[in-house]
Amino acid sequence: MAQIEQSDKGKKKKGAQKKMSIHVDFTPMVDMNMLLITFFMLCTTMIKSQTLTIALPSNEKIEQSEMNKAKESEAITLILATDRDANGNIKKDDSGRPMNTVYFYEGMPDVTDADGDGRLDNNKLQAEQFLGNDGKIQQGIRKILHDRNKKVLEKIEVEKAKWRNKEFAPGNSAANDSIYQARAREIRNDSTITRPIVIIKATPEASWESLISALDEMQINQISRYQIDNINQVDSAMIIDYLAKHPKK
Amino acid sequence: MGKVKIKRKSTLIDMTAMSDVTVLLLTFFMLTSTFLQKEPVTVMTPSSVSEQKVPTANLASILVSPEGKVFISLAGDADAEMKDEWGTEAIRASVLKEAVKLYNQQNPSKAIQLSDADIATFSKINMFGVPFQVLHQFLSMSQTEQDKFISNMNDKAVGIPINDNKDMEHLNEFQIWMRAIYNSGNDNLQKAIKKGEGIAVKADKDTPYNTVHDVLDNLQTMKMNRFSIMTALKTEQD
Repeated sequence: MAQIEQSDKGKKKKGAQKKMSIHVDFTPMVDMNMLLITFFMLCTTMIKSQTLTIALPSNEKIEQSEMNKAKESEAITLILATDRDANGNIKKDDSGRPMNTVYFYEGMPDVTDADGDGRLDNNKLQAEQFLGNDGKIQQGIRKILHDRNKKVLEKIEVEKAKWRNKEFAPGNSAANDSIYQARAREIRNDSTITRPIVIIKATPEASWESLISALDEMQINQISRYQIDNINQVDSAMIIDYLAKHPKK
Repeated sequence: MGKVKIKRKSTLIDMTAMSDVTVLLLTFFMLTSTFLQKEPVTVMTPSSVSEQKVPTANLASILVSPEGKVFISLAGDADAEMKDEWGTEAIRASVLKEAVKLYNQQNPSKAIQLSDADIATFSKINMFGVPFQVLHQFLSMSQTEQDKFISNMNDKAVGIPINDNKDMEHLNEFQIWMRAIYNSGNDNLQKAIKKGEGIAVKADKDTPYNTVHDVLDNLQTMKMNRFSIMTALKTEQD
């Protein structure tokens, strides 16, 4: 709708050129642009998903004698379980968190039943939850893992303070980051410090989310040695025994 | 008293500036946008504190639906036109040919044939997941029919079969696809898979572990032990 306006007020001189002012109305153009913007805004994915890299052991059969044995004093086994209702939907607790339970025991499992009453004599299994942090204080399973890996975490905390103050490479944040990462890796893998070895097992009905949460706890607690393993009969026996002794409300 | 003259003003607003702004915004969105890819099921990935970005090129992502159906999506090199590289469509066609070859080797009695048109259709599809026997039928459908077919999670002919996970010699269909992807001829993809960045597993956060474990177990048999898991971001607090 380009408008060509003529400013004539009746006083025209013959032969004089007409003065024209040209207005192009951009309203439809703006309308169209807005539509296109809306389209692109709705079709884009602004939030890019992240990835978590893991390495699993290969499926090849390995002789018992060739296996790397974990030190009993350092080993901690997590067994993940999720409460589901009859339809397979995950139950939620009062605060809306999915009911993911982490059973854990330290060292070797003990399934002796000397008196033969069907209950394990000394079941070391304990139950915890993924609760995250409350302010600065670790809760649930994170607290347990944090305490076990305290020495590493304390050392890393010192390096972290330096990293925050950019002490590694003043004025060069990329170098500062990379030096900090290298130092942290060194501490995580330092075999002179007592560090836990975590074995993560998941029951068949455990949710995928709970496994990722468990892997997350490894990252958060700077645990360098962990492994995902298949659940075995001893583990299930311990869970059944635990549930028999601690019935759910 | 003199008359107060009210000036008549034109109500026309100059939209040129507005137009400039909208065009700028439009350019921004056009350049930054990556389109949502079509997927047979929408899954909510679990959240993690990991901050690694998903690679956009040279990636085979494996989608596991809550029912345990498996789908694969492939992406080739980012700017294939620039150099002598493998674009996404080229890699899909190559993977398909390789996979069909492998399948026919393993099952000579049930050998399948695909036409050039089928291969061309396949290279346009973002996410695929049908058994080899249904492949020709699936590729002959129109796009809307394909979408409808593949989103029916109760159909047996949907999803790549992952059972019969034995060893390296007897591959099941999923393993044939993974082997074909590994041997697609694109060195960059092969390198990415070796590094553990070339394979991404995507599953819903409520999916039972044994469903996902089936897929992971298949990969372990293939000695593809390093891979990544797609997650959303969360903070350390929760």
